[in-house]
Amino acid sequence: MKVTIENDFRRGLSGTRNLDPVGWVFAAMNLIFFICAVGLGVFLVVGSVPVVRSEGLGFWLGENWWVGETFGALPMICGSLIVTGLAVILVLPVALSGALFTSEYLVPSFRRRVKGVMELLAGVPGIIYGLLGVSFLTVGIKDVLNLLDGNTLFTAGCLLAIMILPTVLTLTEDALHSVPSEFREAAEGLGLTKLQTAWRVVLPQSLPGIAGAVLLGVGRAMGETIAVMLVIGSLDRVPGFNFFVSGQTIPSKLGREAAEALGSGVHWSALMGLGLTLFLMVAILTFCGNIFIRRSSR
Amino acid sequence: MSRHEGIWIGLVFFLIAGWGFVPETVAGSRVQIVGSTTVLPVASRSAQKFMELSKIRILVNAGGSGLGIHSVVQGRADIGMASRGISLDEKKRFEKSRLKIHPIGLDAVACVVSTEIYQAGVRHLTPRQIAAIYMGKIQNWKEVGGPDRQIVVIDKERHRGTRHVFMQYIFGNASQRTPGTLLVTGSNNEEQAKIAQSDSAIGMLSFAWINEDMKAVSLRDKGKEFLPTWETVRQGRYPIVRKLNFITAGEPEGEVKAFIDFVKGPQGQKIVEESGYIPIAGKISQQ
Repeated sequence: MKVTIENDFRRGLSGTRNLDPVGWVFAAMNLIFFICAVGLGVFLVVGSVPVVRSEGLGFWLGENWWVGETFGALPMICGSLIVTGLAVILVLPVALSGALFTSEYLVPSFRRRVKGVMELLAGVPGIIYGLLGVSFLTVGIKDVLNLLDGNTLFTAGCLLAIMILPTVLTLTEDALHSVPSEFREAAEGLGLTKLQTAWRVVLPQSLPGIAGAVLLGVGRAMGETIAVMLVIGSLDRVPGFNFFVSGQTIPSKLGREAAEALGSGVHWSALMGLGLTLFLMVAILTFCGNIFIRRSSR
Repeated sequence: MSRHEGIWIGLVFFLIAGWGFVPETVAGSRVQIVGSTTVLPVASRSAQKFMELSKIRILVNAGGSGLGIHSVVQGRADIGMASRGISLDEKKRFEKSRLKIHPIGLDAVACVVSTEIYQAGVRHLTPRQIAAIYMGKIQNWKEVGGPDRQIVVIDKERHRGTRHVFMQYIFGNASQRTPGTLLVTGSNNEEQAKIAQSDSAIGMLSFAWINEDMKAVSLRDKGKEFLPTWETVRQGRYPIVRKLNFITAGEPEGEVKAFIDFVKGPQGQKIVEESGYIPIAGKISQQ
């Protein structure tokens, strides 16, 4: 293992042997990125040392977040997982079928227009979705499902699903569309219908790309702060399996308390710890996603 | 090679040119004000008037009383707005900053319920009932004379000034934990909106923020009933009253002092009244 990594490294740097000045500039730019990435990690780890020292593992397992006494991040971790999971479950069927339709059924000129709209929507900032959510979605969900109140984990999940839909849709469509047309022609030659071609030939071929699309969407959903903050109810509690109650996610907690805690000892450190936790969660997710992509593209 | 060199020189030039765009520090004096959303309307309206009269620039930002006090301590703001006093804990932690309180007006906090609940018969509550609701012991409106409907208990973030005075009155403990809570809100705006969206909510709101979607209930305590009206507050009989404060680190000087004096002066106090609060100079017998 170690040898291969070393070989990889050597091969990766072998291009640097005869660098001209421009190459050095590019290398320097790359170094900036590297410093940012490492700096961020160090900042989070160092920042969260005090809270881990005072809480230990209880920081991740504790259910109570009482400023000045004890900091337990479990409600926020659960909330983040639930909300993101809901968003993915809700977005997948819509994005998949929408992308299949756009890529396989639409005439090219139409397809280009639809793509344009999708890409436009993908760039809309979270706060806009948040405003829509707080004015329509909370009230709507409360009335339709006859809930006590509309500020729930489910609402946040729905809102995130709507928010990441354009991103997932357009990237999934890209993945489907990039399958070479020889595959389609061969399938047609074998007498498969359009649906069979799309479902049995094109879809499996583009699975890695779709996984990448979903991962990007998940990343955005997990980190979304303001839109979630407006509709989730901001109550720190471990929600169990009832998604129709208020809750809290890591970013929404950070959004609510960051200004208040700025530079104040353990409270600030606890927020850093939350940030680190989120960072790790996204990292683990990306890692697993990459393994999946590598496996399925073999 | 010469083409590459061109690109290289171009890049360096670009970087140097970019340096030129680093913003210069803004000339002229500026006063930064941060804190309570309750005090915010007074501060921003006064700032507007004040800037018309002088060259001093004033920036007003929200964030809550806790943030206001923190920002002053750390020098991120010149004036902190707080809708409560400085807590014992803060006094101890920030002893070195020699925080100074400048009261600029009076406000009262009401226990509000959704209009539907009010019309269904919940016109008054005792502190003990409110406490039971916030502790989760009473969960249905019918237990306090309302309709058979679950209560949407709305709380505020723990560092908010409105919460401090409200909880101090209800529980005798400003940072009381309330397991009955269903929603946590931040600013007055947010709480107002969340109550308006619900038809069975209870919450705490500054008098000035009450609108037609919610009604303030009167408080019954020890056989006496306190109507939530300005009349009662003026007479000094309403129990949940608080001062609206500006907070500075040490004695204010220069333009900061000028602005505080402006707000305390006749023009500023008129703005306090227009914002829905009571001027500090008014004859109020504080108990």
